[in-house]
Amino acid sequence: MSEVAIVGFGCSGFKPITPELSYKELMFETAVKAYEDAGINPRKDVDVFITCAEDYLEGFSIFDEFVPDQLGAVLRHLFTVSGDGMLGLATAYMLIRTGHFDTIVLEAHSKASDILTYIDIVAFGLDPVYNRPLGGHPYYIAGMEMNRYLHDTCTTTEQCAQVVVKNKRNGILNPYAAYGANVTLDQVLCSETCFYPLKKLEISTPADGCIVMVLASEKIAESLSDKPIWVKGVGWCTETPSLETREWTKAVYTRMAAEMAYKQAKINNPWMEIDFAEIHDQFAYKELQHMEALKLCDYGEAGKLLEDGLTNLNGEFPVNPSGGLLGMGYGLEASGTQKLLEVVLQLRGEAGRRQIPNAEVGLAHTWRGIPTATGVVAVLSNVKR
Amino acid sequence: MSIEKITNPFDARHWIGHMEADYMYTLGVVGERFFKELKENGRIMGTRCPNCSIVYVPPRMYCERCFAKLEEWIDVGKKGTIHTFTIATIEKDGKKLEKPVIYALIKFEGAHGGMIHKIGETDTVCIGMKVEAVLKSPEERKASINDIAYFRPTK
Ligand SMILES: [Zn+2]
Repeated sequence: MSEVAIVGFGCSGFKPITPELSYKELMFETAVKAYEDAGINPRKDVDVFITCAEDYLEGFSIFDEFVPDQLGAVLRHLFTVSGDGMLGLATAYMLIRTGHFDTIVLEAHSKASDILTYIDIVAFGLDPVYNRPLGGHPYYIAGMEMNRYLHDTCTTTEQCAQVVVKNKRNGILNPYAAYGANVTLDQVLCSETCFYPLKKLEISTPADGCIVMVLASEKIAESLSDKPIWVKGVGWCTETPSLETREWTKAVYTRMAAEMAYKQAKINNPWMEIDFAEIHDQFAYKELQHMEALKLCDYGEAGKLLEDGLTNLNGEFPVNPSGGLLGMGYGLEASGTQKLLEVVLQLRGEAGRRQIPNAEVGLAHTWRGIPTATGVVAVLSNVKR
Repeated sequence: MSIEKITNPFDARHWIGHMEADYMYTLGVVGERFFKELKENGRIMGTRCPNCSIVYVPPRMYCERCFAKLEEWIDVGKKGTIHTFTIATIEKDGKKLEKPVIYALIKFEGAHGGMIHKIGETDTVCIGMKVEAVLKSPEERKASINDIAYFRPTK
């Protein structure tokens, strides 16, 4: 079976608003960068185009009909995955592994600033009969989950707040990040408790942006890129949608996705064999909960590792060197590709002032946000082996 | 790219759209029975899996663990324990709520799962607290999850 590599990317950067561009123009400008990076012509060199988008977030029904033209994919072979960009990566990976496809374009974006009632759309993700009639801001679910996570693991509110300090600080070093900042632990802890124990500054703010990636089979990857980044394994998993019966302490969906990816990538000890990770941190506590689910440490230990500085940019195992979603901005269905992008940049040695020296293996993880329990994990390396 | 820096998206030329999407969610066999019991008899019912020996609340027609069809109904009572909770201080539009709302997952004894609902008649709440459902009067009940007004600490 063919190995799979990421051979090019384009990124618009993430910003609070992009009023100057329509979503189509945002995608077009990003796609042009990706095709230039990979040195391909979309009109003849691409076997399959995959876009990742959720209708409600785009303000369309059947949004997949509205994406071919701005990618150079009219009358070409395109489909949309209704989910996070990393579910698109999993699909691209499988297609290339079949041996029938050599070049695949993957796209995901967020035009969050166009959505006038984002939280209403999130609330629409709740069960219509058992949950939705209660009303309220749906992030109460994050507050409830954080509360149970802290209760069962003895993780502290200070440790959760420290995630924000670290990630926003990393974001300052990332030109693609919308919300990099120097915030203090006190500022986070003193920000409003919106959903006890969850604080306002622990909630990532949506941002606009687009990422396009070009994936290629082993056969042509090295001819398209000097620095192909190999996808060593991808895994995904979905827990029950039932809030009443799902697990509230451990992110089981991420554990199962990680086990699937690690098996393919032949990873036995993730902390030792992987150099850094990009982990879904829409809410600060989720970085810690996900670290544990990713087997980077035992349950309840992530907060301590963070507190001891091990997951800092210069630590033993940097987590979210990009600034995470807290620093970059929450890119909705592009979250997974935000994670993937940072892993690619680090492994190419193009992460600038936040470059992790000698990084060889990186992990990208995503989650589909409240109220979902879907996770995707990928292990990537700049060494083919 | 842009001529002048726009700081308010509404300053850019735009078109406001509205997505009409009304929907009727059919309850099905199990939902029909659950809400009929709640409305008419004031009972909270679950369905039991014979293979896994677990009782699903809210009830469902199939077991999510072994995929068996579930047909045995059990009254799980109105008393439960707070598995987790939060205190919401803002509304969906980001405005501060006049009075914070306590949301909790209440698990019923002997049941797998429980109910997400509001907690009332108290300002203090903790994980593990025993609570009971406060039902609206039979005339007010409409076969909705809001036939339960809220849960309150057991006396
Ligand atoms: Zn069963």
